[in-house]
Amino acid sequence: MVALVEVKRLSKRFGARAALTDVSFAVAPGEIVALVGANGSGKSTLLRLMAGLLRPSAGTVSVLGHEPFTQREEVMRDARFAFAPPSLFDSLTAREQLVRLTASPSRSVDSALATVGLAERADDRVRTYSFGMRQRLAIAQALLPPPRLLVLDEPSEGLDPAGVRELRALLLRLRAECGVAIVLASHLSSEVESLADRVVVLDSGRVVFAGSVAELRAGGERLVLGVAAMSAARTALASAGIVATPRGSTELLLQPPVPDLTEMQALLSQAGVELLSYHVETPSLEEALLARAARATP
Amino acid sequence: MIAGLEALRLWRSRRPLVALLALLCFLVLMLVGFWTYAESRTKGAAQFEYTYENRSYFNGLTFALYAFYFGFVLLLPIFAAIEGGAQIAGDSGGGALTLLLTRPLSKTRLFFVKAGLAALFSLLLTGMFLAVALLIGLCAVGWGPLRLYPGVLQMTDTPQFLKRGEALMRFALAWPAAGLALLAPLAFSLWISSWAKSAVNAVGTAVALYLVLHVIAEVHFFEDLRPWLFTSHTTYWRGLFAERIDLREMARHAAALVGFTALFLALAFRRFRRREET
Repeated sequence: MVALVEVKRLSKRFGARAALTDVSFAVAPGEIVALVGANGSGKSTLLRLMAGLLRPSAGTVSVLGHEPFTQREEVMRDARFAFAPPSLFDSLTAREQLVRLTASPSRSVDSALATVGLAERADDRVRTYSFGMRQRLAIAQALLPPPRLLVLDEPSEGLDPAGVRELRALLLRLRAECGVAIVLASHLSSEVESLADRVVVLDSGRVVFAGSVAELRAGGERLVLGVAAMSAARTALASAGIVATPRGSTELLLQPPVPDLTEMQALLSQAGVELLSYHVETPSLEEALLARAARATP
Repeated sequence: MIAGLEALRLWRSRRPLVALLALLCFLVLMLVGFWTYAESRTKGAAQFEYTYENRSYFNGLTFALYAFYFGFVLLLPIFAAIEGGAQIAGDSGGGALTLLLTRPLSKTRLFFVKAGLAALFSLLLTGMFLAVALLIGLCAVGWGPLRLYPGVLQMTDTPQFLKRGEALMRFALAWPAAGLALLAPLAFSLWISSWAKSAVNAVGTAVALYLVLHVIAEVHFFEDLRPWLFTSHTTYWRGLFAERIDLREMARHAAALVGFTALFLALAFRRFRRREET
């Protein structure tokens, strides 16, 4: 299957500062890919390169088969972008903005405004809108006309909980009914978890992980030991080079690679420590992301 | 689509209203200035009798011409710079350029729609200014023939006399001629704007450079440099108020202005195409 987005060894520098280094990933039709990373990790720069607003310093970007900086017009025929914070024409009403910017028939405009819950304020100037309403309008303009690729930067920012839920349902519906591929940059692990087929984790402009949410979590699995004598247990494990981090008063966490359980039992037994329980714990997505970032930091 | 959208945005931006109000205030101040000047020269018998240049008859046409001259040299280029600054740098700073560039719209079309709209705005503003100056001149001073004398404003080298009807015809011709002259500072400001990230920087830089170039163009010491500055040609429309218009000289200046405008537009367009929106 031909990828809608293909990023190969992409780098972007602003003067001496490297914003992105050697980034590669692809997005297939109908796929939802989340770009995740801390502030300044390069997510927005990557999206702007995909939109042809920036020119790559090295490497290539292909969106819908076109190079965005030189063939931006062709890219934008079937791709829609909504950046954060939402850029809008403040002096226009929401309806004027959508009609004139997207050249869509008024029925489609009304439908898009109703979809994002702005039908009642459609004829108010955008400058009177709250941040959340601006975000909704930015999403509405990204839906007109229906694209093959939708790229959203922090789409849930500023939305109330109901709005967040509606947005997620809308994105999943777009994918299911129209086969729209979606790339979204997000800080919200709940959003990534509920929407993304694949996650691309950026740290300081480099890809530190690319794979499914399950794969991301699997790399962060850890063993949780329930012990009665915490201090003695840590000393016994340390003697064998095993680092255990206390959690609460009776639990020790062992990060991967997890040592052999029988060996640990023997160690604890020799030290007179009773092993009360043990289980393998899968980290939350947030923890897995933090662990990835920590691992990537030299 | 894009032309209508940009025209609506310009209308709603209030820049046209602010420019018109500023020019109106300027005309009122000019009127007060001429009145008080005449009053001081006539020892309290306030008559619009004396000009800066000569104790000649002063009427509404003289007022309109002088007001337009000062406004053209000092005010209209500032509004042209504001428009140029708003079109690219202003839209970039506010995120509007990002929004426009994420639609299927070529940079070429966007640039020329913006430049064309700014040029149309400047032309209309010039026409409105001239028309209001004439109207105020008619209402506050009254019309008659236009007499011009050599003086500090360099309106003419020799005394000129135009009958009222002929003078009004020359005013009508001065509108497109001055409109053409304003295209050069406008294109210059678009070029500056294509480099800047905020409207304030673009407008400030364009106005400062225009003033420097204008001063250099007015100083005879820089005689060799003057032909190479667009500001040396912008007031060529004054030639329309001579009894016999030197068409060859007018055409030379107009051609120079067209050349400068094309150069600045080409530079602005080149930069706009390569510009990145961070």
